[in-house]
Amino acid sequence: MTPDTIRLTVNGKVHDIAVAPATPLLYVLRNDLELNGPKFGCGLGECGACTVMLDGIAARSCVLPVGACTQRHIVTLEGLGTREHPDPLQAAFVEHQAAQCGYCLNGMIMTAKALLLRNAHPTETEILEALRYNLCRCGTHVEILAAVKSAAGHSRASEAADAAG
Amino acid sequence: MPPADATRPENGGSRATGSLSIIRSLKADQPAAGFETFIVIAADGFVTAFNGHVDLGTGIRTALTQIVAEELDVPLSHVTMVLGDTEHVPDQGPTIASETIQITAVPLRHAAAQARQYLLERAAAELDQSLDELTIDDGLIRAKNNRSVSYAELVAGKTVCLELRDDVPVKDVSTYKIVGQAVPRLEIPAMTTGEMTYVHDVRVPGMLHGRVVRPPYAGVDAGDFVGTSLLAIDESSVADIPGLVAIVRIADFVGVVAEREENAIRAAQQLRITWKRTPTLPDLTDIATALRANPSTPRVLLDKNDVDAAIAAAAKPMQRTYVWPYQIHGSIGPSCSVADYSDGGLRVWTGSQNPHVLRGDLARLLALPEHAIDVIRFEAAGCYGRNGADDVSADAALLSRAVGRPVRVQLTREQEHAWDPKGTAQLMEVNGGLDENGHAVAYDFATRYPSNAAPTLALLLTGTIPPVATVMQMGDRTAIPPYDYDAMRVVTHDMPPIVRASWFRGVSALPNSFAHESYIDELATEAGVDPVEYRLRYLKDQRAADLVRSVADRARWTPRPVWQPPQADGDVVRGRGFAYAVYVHGPFPGKAAAWSAWVADVAVNKATGDVAVTHVTVGQDSGLVINPDGVRHQIHGNVIQSTSRALMEEVTFEPSAVASREWGGYPIITFPDVPKIDVLIVPRQDQPPLGVGESASVPSAAAIANAIFDATGVRFRELPFTPDRIREGLRAAETKTAPAPARRRGLFAGLAALCTAVAGLIVAASPWRPAIAPIARPDASIYTAATIARGQQLAALGDCAVCHTADGGIVNAGGRPLETPFGTIFATNITPDVETGIGAWSYPAFERAMRQGIHRDGRHLYPAFPYNHFAKTTDADLQALYAYLMAQAPVRQNNRDNALAFPFNIRPLMAGWNTLFHTPATYTPDPAKSDIWNRGAYLVEGLGHCGACHTPRNALGAEKASAQLAGGNAEGWDAPPLTSLSQSPIPWSENEFFSYLRTGISTYHGVAAGPMGPVVKELGALPDSDIRAMAVYLASFNPDAPSAAAQQAMAVKLETITSVRPIAASAQGARIYDGACAVCHEVGGPELFGSRPSLALNSNVHAATPGNLIQVILNGITAPVSGDLGTMPGFAGSLNDRQVSELASYLRQRFAPDKPAWIGIEDAVRATRQATAR
Repeated sequence: MTPDTIRLTVNGKVHDIAVAPATPLLYVLRNDLELNGPKFGCGLGECGACTVMLDGIAARSCVLPVGACTQRHIVTLEGLGTREHPDPLQAAFVEHQAAQCGYCLNGMIMTAKALLLRNAHPTETEILEALRYNLCRCGTHVEILAAVKSAAGHSRASEAADAAG
Repeated sequence: MPPADATRPENGGSRATGSLSIIRSLKADQPAAGFETFIVIAADGFVTAFNGHVDLGTGIRTALTQIVAEELDVPLSHVTMVLGDTEHVPDQGPTIASETIQITAVPLRHAAAQARQYLLERAAAELDQSLDELTIDDGLIRAKNNRSVSYAELVAGKTVCLELRDDVPVKDVSTYKIVGQAVPRLEIPAMTTGEMTYVHDVRVPGMLHGRVVRPPYAGVDAGDFVGTSLLAIDESSVADIPGLVAIVRIADFVGVVAEREENAIRAAQQLRITWKRTPTLPDLTDIATALRANPSTPRVLLDKNDVDAAIAAAAKPMQRTYVWPYQIHGSIGPSCSVADYSDGGLRVWTGSQNPHVLRGDLARLLALPEHAIDVIRFEAAGCYGRNGADDVSADAALLSRAVGRPVRVQLTREQEHAWDPKGTAQLMEVNGGLDENGHAVAYDFATRYPSNAAPTLALLLTGTIPPVATVMQMGDRTAIPPYDYDAMRVVTHDMPPIVRASWFRGVSALPNSFAHESYIDELATEAGVDPVEYRLRYLKDQRAADLVRSVADRARWTPRPVWQPPQADGDVVRGRGFAYAVYVHGPFPGKAAAWSAWVADVAVNKATGDVAVTHVTVGQDSGLVINPDGVRHQIHGNVIQSTSRALMEEVTFEPSAVASREWGGYPIITFPDVPKIDVLIVPRQDQPPLGVGESASVPSAAAIANAIFDATGVRFRELPFTPDRIREGLRAAETKTAPAPARRRGLFAGLAALCTAVAGLIVAASPWRPAIAPIARPDASIYTAATIARGQQLAALGDCAVCHTADGGIVNAGGRPLETPFGTIFATNITPDVETGIGAWSYPAFERAMRQGIHRDGRHLYPAFPYNHFAKTTDADLQALYAYLMAQAPVRQNNRDNALAFPFNIRPLMAGWNTLFHTPATYTPDPAKSDIWNRGAYLVEGLGHCGACHTPRNALGAEKASAQLAGGNAEGWDAPPLTSLSQSPIPWSENEFFSYLRTGISTYHGVAAGPMGPVVKELGALPDSDIRAMAVYLASFNPDAPSAAAQQAMAVKLETITSVRPIAASAQGARIYDGACAVCHEVGGPELFGSRPSLALNSNVHAATPGNLIQVILNGITAPVSGDLGTMPGFAGSLNDRQVSELASYLRQRFAPDKPAWIGIEDAVRATRQATAR
């Protein structure tokens, strides 16, 4: 793996990084750019903890060679918003207290964000299917679903009805 | 001790002088022995509070903050909790057994109350008022006379340190303003923006990256082979890794350290180590037998009245056995740690759940005094018990000591799965029975729990402690049933672990309660009494009985005294089940945490065996609730996680190790399968707070089993309730005589025929050819740029660089090994270097080589060099190709000797081969065909040399003229037939050939992988018109290809008929597919970057042999033709031969249902793996 200079656009900023092109994007984001949002979970694309968006599409950065990411807009959790100016989806996660350990949260938010970008008002079934392959071990699914539904414009009343099931 | 302290997660205190501390001396009357701090109020009035436990994602940081703020009457924002940091917090033991709020918060609450009392007394003096005339509001003490003084003012200027007293009165619950309120978790805003710093995110200056390489006895930690199995390390195997700093070995402990993380990962994967063979484990597919055979010591926990006599007298004796499987904690983030060993001290950043215990382990491992070790606790991925957090901290410490710099180590997913101390399998045996009135006469309960505390791995691997399986008395949690049967005997058989095991949420209580709560349901059924009513007859604890009634009411429970077959909805039957438990934790007899009861609703598909838990009503009596949202979220988490454990979780084993190493081999619940949950929190604010971290898990498995019984009339006593187990159970209940499974006959016979020895057929005909005189390297400037550019395209078409470039080597400098049935041939240097390349070759020498397979010096070349195809090239094209090659930079690199077996190593014999099989003529267009067809034929049959791989070869390695493009092989891959013999479900059409050759993907066939990937990449140099011509020519072998619309219709049909799991297909394969493959391959799955190859249409899944599918599963597609396609990871390091075989079998059966099953897949996987390893 011989290093090349790879030009990446991450959260709107351009970076030139000397790295072997086969290096998974995740390690470049975490180690070269010191971004903590994307997390290593499995290295096999199974769990979704490493999810980022590439040109608005959810991508599993643990299996994505950095060399394939030039010429694209990479957005990480940090690029969505800040504590002071959160993205509405981030705000919904806070409002619904949608975290226990929070390790999977990056993947949940980034996957849901990509869903909302292509479908601003998904149904509950569409949300469940979009998040099917994002694993959470703490069992925070109920709160995460509530958060995404509220960001997708589902009313509180319909959420209450669902909860009563 | 390293000085840097900036990375502590939180650090109380302020710069202004003065403070009030509440401490506890470690030894009364011996101040020198040191003390522990619980509360410090700084001169700015801000409070720092200390607790020995840590937040495992359960929200206790917030709850503890509420307790302190409440007791001190300060705003939440004025309190900082420090958790688990050994330099600062009291040693309160591991964060286990849901003890934090119930037990370790008690001194904290007292300390806060004591500080408040002290400040009130100070204020009374200051304000000259009596205590009862003072009120406190947000840290401001007011007197009735309107004067006030703040905590800050009272603390400033004086350093006061008070010994903790537990007799200071705490606030009355009725006055609470903060405790009991739903307070948002403090960390969540930072988690949602990536600002939260987990231990995985700790970076310290000069930090390196380490990975460990674990021994092959994955998940086994006792036996004399532990720590003594490593024979040799071949360091040359990682010589090519850039920035590799060290390979560290201590007995069986192996680690690598590199400057960059991805290189540490590669080094760990690549490092070749020779290990001893390790012994096989007992057969853990039969847990009951394995646990009965494990040596044990019975410990009687309860013996009341004469159990044996009562059972002997029972009208209806009932003996039952319940089995719990091995399970993993399953942290989503593999454990991680950073260690910095310097100046004789160690600082470790860890996600441990027991920092003080870890410090003791590290002291032992490194032979350091404990005070030289600082364990800093950071948040980590949820652990629910003992996972790899301590292990990795010790690993990091060893690696840091070896290199003298800080090292970050993260375990791999495979290591976390395999070495995680398992939640152990457990065996519960119950004997008892009913009298003629349906009254339970006796309860004889025995439980086996083969687990201990799982010593930190590095201590064992380095030989620091002996690898002896110690016995720990932890099988007794909730071993005593909550029901007051007349005669009872409860015995726990204390035993050592069989595989590495430690506590996991609901430690032994969850399996024990599965037995208690299933058994009482069975008693109720036999007695013909509603199971809730039956429980209430024997439940003497009033709070428990209240909870049971409340939950039954809430769920609108209807009595079901006699089992009735439910109304079926097609294959689906529905049922509901009840279970109750109180989680008793800590050393026997233990303490009770919160009471919990479940009503579970299930839907069982009797045809497929799928169980869906559709709804759970769960009630909990937790005493005083600190944070209702926190309690509710813990209940949700417990319900979802324990439903997952009951329905699908089970570790599988290889003969001597754990086999489940990723989420396909060990799936957990996903969003669509999560039940709806209705939570009932029983209001008990007047009672002491109880642990809520585990209680709601404990009734889970029994409630679900009882619901499955209600739905089907069949009792399941072993977890997990997977579709295959349910189907089997239902079938066994229906008929005792299962039909004998049909056997299939072998299809693979004769596959190896091609490689059989060949002798005697070789005819020698003019074997010696003259050399052509060497020339000085030609001056490439005589060629026009246009000619060179054209030559470059032709070189790409001919894939010169694909074969003539070694992995990681210089383009065209040779050295790539080409495996043939006759031995290994090494491609030669074709750069224009005069001595080692073709720089001394004149054009006639080049042309002779291309057309006749003769080296410039007269030697015969082997037809691995496809001169039989190249000969068809026009002279003009060969000239251009020559020009291009000569215009490249010469590279001096000697050629390697071939490794061919006799007689193939005798080059002159090739003359005979040529006589038989080679016609050195240029391509002659077929006047009956179109120009474009002829162009395509020229490209495909000439330089393109497609037939070299795609045409089958005869015993002498020559392409069979009669079977042009009918399928061959290359580099361990099958090169599928391109003709009407293609096994693809949708025949190849011109457009799909074009799409595949141009972009590397055909929607109806799949992605170019293996040796075909580089071919398509090279074809990128050719214009669309040439690719189109090749497509036209290739499509002419399939004259009946359907129209585009028909192809689309076929695709839809194929995807529709393969959209459901075939019932008879491999259950293990189905699980692996769902967990590992479906995310990218399931039709209609989530939109993710990259292609989503549809397996129903995939050529490899429909091929005659599983070879290519196995190749792709093991090695992935890591360098696809274009970045747009995404990549597929290889699973060679994550799935074993059996798992890959089960997966391939499942894929075949599901996605190619009209094709015969492959057989001998596991052998083929093994062979492919071995070939790849070479």
